[in-house]
Amino acid sequence: MNRFLIPGALLALALVYPLLVQSLPVYERLGALVLLGAIGASAWNIVGGYAGQVSVGHAVFFGFGAYSSVVVYTHLGWPPIAGAPLGMALSVLLAAVIGVPTLRLSGHYFSMATIAVGELVRVLSSTSEFLGGAQGLGGPAIPRTVFDLSFLSAMPFYYIFLVVLSLLLLLTWIIERGRMGFYLRAIKDSERAARSLGVSAGRYKLYAYMLSGAFAALAGSLYLCMFGFVDPDSGFGILISVKMVVMAALGGAGQLFGPLVGALILVPLEELSNSLLGGQGAGLTFVVYGAIIVIIARFLPSGLLSLLNRRKVNRVD
Amino acid sequence: MSKTTRRTTMVGAVALATGLARPAMAQDATVKIGIIYPLSGNSATAGNYSKMALEVGADVINNGDADLAKFIPLAKGGGLPGLKNAKIQLVFADNQGTPAAGQNQALRLITEEKVAALIGAYQSGITLTASAIAERHGIPFVNGESVAANLTERGFKWFFRVTPVAIDFARAYSAFLKEQKAAGRKTDNIALVHENTEYGNSVGSVIIDQFKKDGFNVGTKIAYSANSSDVQPQVLQLKEKNPDVLIFISYTSDAILYTKTMKELNWKPGILIADNAGFNDPAFVKSLGNEVEGLINRSAFSAGKPGSVPDLFNKLYVKKTGGDGLDDVSVRGLQAFMVLADALNRAGSTEPAKIQAALKATDLPAEQMVAGYDGVKFDDKGQNTKAASVVTQMRGGKYVTVAPKDRATAEVILPYKGW
Amino acid sequence: MSLILVQVIVSGLLLGAVYALFSSGLTLIWGMMNVVNFAHGDFVMLGMYSAVMVWTALGGGPFAAVPVAAMLIATLGVLSYFMLVRHIMKGPMLAQILGTFGLALFLRYAAFWYFGANFKTLPDTLVGGSFVFMGLRFEGSRVLAGAMGLGITLLLHFILTRTAIGSRMLAVSEDATAAQLMGIRPQRMQALAWGMAGAATGIAGALIANFFYTSPTVGETLAILAFVTVSFGGFGSVLGALVAGLIIGVVESLSAYLIGPVYKDVIVYILFVLVLWFRPQGLMGKT
Repeated sequence: MNRFLIPGALLALALVYPLLVQSLPVYERLGALVLLGAIGASAWNIVGGYAGQVSVGHAVFFGFGAYSSVVVYTHLGWPPIAGAPLGMALSVLLAAVIGVPTLRLSGHYFSMATIAVGELVRVLSSTSEFLGGAQGLGGPAIPRTVFDLSFLSAMPFYYIFLVVLSLLLLLTWIIERGRMGFYLRAIKDSERAARSLGVSAGRYKLYAYMLSGAFAALAGSLYLCMFGFVDPDSGFGILISVKMVVMAALGGAGQLFGPLVGALILVPLEELSNSLLGGQGAGLTFVVYGAIIVIIARFLPSGLLSLLNRRKVNRVD
Repeated sequence: MSKTTRRTTMVGAVALATGLARPAMAQDATVKIGIIYPLSGNSATAGNYSKMALEVGADVINNGDADLAKFIPLAKGGGLPGLKNAKIQLVFADNQGTPAAGQNQALRLITEEKVAALIGAYQSGITLTASAIAERHGIPFVNGESVAANLTERGFKWFFRVTPVAIDFARAYSAFLKEQKAAGRKTDNIALVHENTEYGNSVGSVIIDQFKKDGFNVGTKIAYSANSSDVQPQVLQLKEKNPDVLIFISYTSDAILYTKTMKELNWKPGILIADNAGFNDPAFVKSLGNEVEGLINRSAFSAGKPGSVPDLFNKLYVKKTGGDGLDDVSVRGLQAFMVLADALNRAGSTEPAKIQAALKATDLPAEQMVAGYDGVKFDDKGQNTKAASVVTQMRGGKYVTVAPKDRATAEVILPYKGW
Repeated sequence: MSLILVQVIVSGLLLGAVYALFSSGLTLIWGMMNVVNFAHGDFVMLGMYSAVMVWTALGGGPFAAVPVAAMLIATLGVLSYFMLVRHIMKGPMLAQILGTFGLALFLRYAAFWYFGANFKTLPDTLVGGSFVFMGLRFEGSRVLAGAMGLGITLLLHFILTRTAIGSRMLAVSEDATAAQLMGIRPQRMQALAWGMAGAATGIAGALIANFFYTSPTVGETLAILAFVTVSFGGFGSVLGALVAGLIIGVVESLSAYLIGPVYKDVIVYILFVLVLWFRPQGLMGKT
């Protein structure tokens, strides 16, 4: 019974949160930003956390999602959200194209190759007229219909993101408990051992990568719907990739709620430190932000959730 | 256990939030203006200089300056007379160089700081996302320096742009080159080198279009990625093509590398034009100004005669920065602020609709300009129709105005001398 | 071949030697401990600021700046090892990214806070300007940096392969427990590696500052290049990083000159992915 009490309470809190902060638009938006960050990091978690393939180039998928959404608006006049399925589908294809050559690489080589591919796509996007070149593209400036998802408050976004995140976590949970989750963990522990047991490591890594890419693209599409603009840096920039990794690692990579915990810490930290210190123009925001990440990494290298697990282990003892 | 902890944190967060969100009525004596600039990241230099320029502006309105008061009514001091002598309080926010942070901060300034209006946000992409929030909330947004054409094409009712845009720069250069051509200088072969982000791309393509219209031939066009690690191949390519006129559109990092590399490889064109940005950065002017003697630039800042508005503001600014003078970016920010202050004063209220109406009715004469504009008057789209640029030239480590004739403080000297 | 094309290639080679120079510290740590230092670019940045400070405060040129920067960044390296890296090595590989990324932001913006956002440059007269040799132009500061790049790479290679301390360091990198049984203290060797890497990185920064600009965010520009150079060459191979640096330098210069500067990064990244396709362990890495 206790097992469901805490998650249940948390879910209830998540459901009523926007109502609690209704008069504080910044906190309403903060809630939506946390969920959006958690979607991106949870998507990354499938391949980076469970399968242990540390991609530092997931911005490629994020950017594909964001650009797909803005492109269907710019070139076809559709509402941006209609571009989300397109972005996801393209990302699955793209994941196959990138994954086949790079997933053979081990450890840091894979990370570095994904960085290179990410930068490659970023530079190419800045030369493409179709994608608005370096200037980027904007979504509908003034909403035409409700489907343009242009709201005064962030509350609708909050609930949309909450639904998406819940579905993603549910899917991850199903995978985690199923055969694929077992294979992925085996690959993460020792790819050679997994292969010798007859696990088709390459295939399962690729599946995880494609699935992960699809949801990272969805995060990108949702980002575009909320912010209404994307350019090569805000779509494909390396910082977007790194943030997904950092968020998941901070909470606990390879664990269902790790990325969400990471987002719950990092996103408010980023926003509040910028709000409180950013205006001085002395760069203190990032001094604080960086120092806190360093401290967490120093004392909890396996992420914040390892605190909880440690306690659990003690209890069993 | 964890549930209660969480709840206390929640309550704490809410308390913190309400603490921040002071009601506007609590302090009638001040009016808040929200300012969004890049105060960290790659463009932080520009943001921090603009921040100081606005602080000078607010100080002049709040505490007065006798000399400036001869030209600008609001410089008498004691705040905004039309608003019960309310003093101006500037609330700065950092856009961190990302469109997302710009938009988040715009929302915070509007809903928590309860600012009467916004100024920002330097990079065009960030101005786009930040002003979208202002539009939805019905808060005036005054932009001083973003040049992307699409910003005023969105049908926004709360967006006002004071700065000249790319086409104004292109016309200024074209007019300048025509004069040089008439004076017998070679302008047959023109090369354009631009960085490949929004700024370099948009300004570059507008210049090419305008030049084509005016019969100039841009034979070489080189695009490069900003913050390059090396520019030797580009300079070697230029050396080989040896154009008569070279135009750079670069941020500071690349401006430094181009300047150093051209000297290393010992090549210079007859006329070197550098569009603003990096070549106007006070840090660049200070350390490399003597290596680009005779460089042609454009600027919204022209120091003018001693005792003129730009000159007086410049003196105050130099005191504030400890040596650096106003430049194109900081002066455009300052001008945007002065326009907003004037509108707030005439509105006589912090009600958004009244400020909006006052901004629409803005009609400032050239004598009150700190920037080198012919005045400020907005069209239906919110673009200042009287914005203009002057052409400047680097002389002995400082920019002097050489065109147009009525503003020039020195005759142009060519060819480009360099180091 | 036209003289200009020769100059492009020579410039590319010099540039490549500079890439090898600022990558050498990264490759040492990477190879020794399988740790990626995401703050590497910011170590270089601090080395550059050391040179700027030596010039502005003492009026000293590179010969004063190099030892100062080497000592400062070596100290920073050793401190980072004892206070952070030693602990995150106990966690998963991801902890390295987390910890060193946090460190990168911290250092970058501590520099921002202390030195301000403004770009700084050193006068080109510090290393004696430029000269002409066989019809080609050379910049003194670049030649010095390139030569030091070669020198430091070879020195590191020599230390690792020909000295007792080098074999001890390699023993620790192969198997720390076994090394410990043989009386080698792994932590001391690893701290030494961070110190050496820091010194090399500091020297790189101090030399690059002479022909580059110095700003708090300059490390970002250099870091990705260093990552690519090191994995291109193969982790742990100091010579590999040198060869990779030279290849990247020439390819960048040639593609910028022949195709267009926007595409030079594209070509380098494609080349990099291709190399990994055929040699997943990099050019000269161990399998």
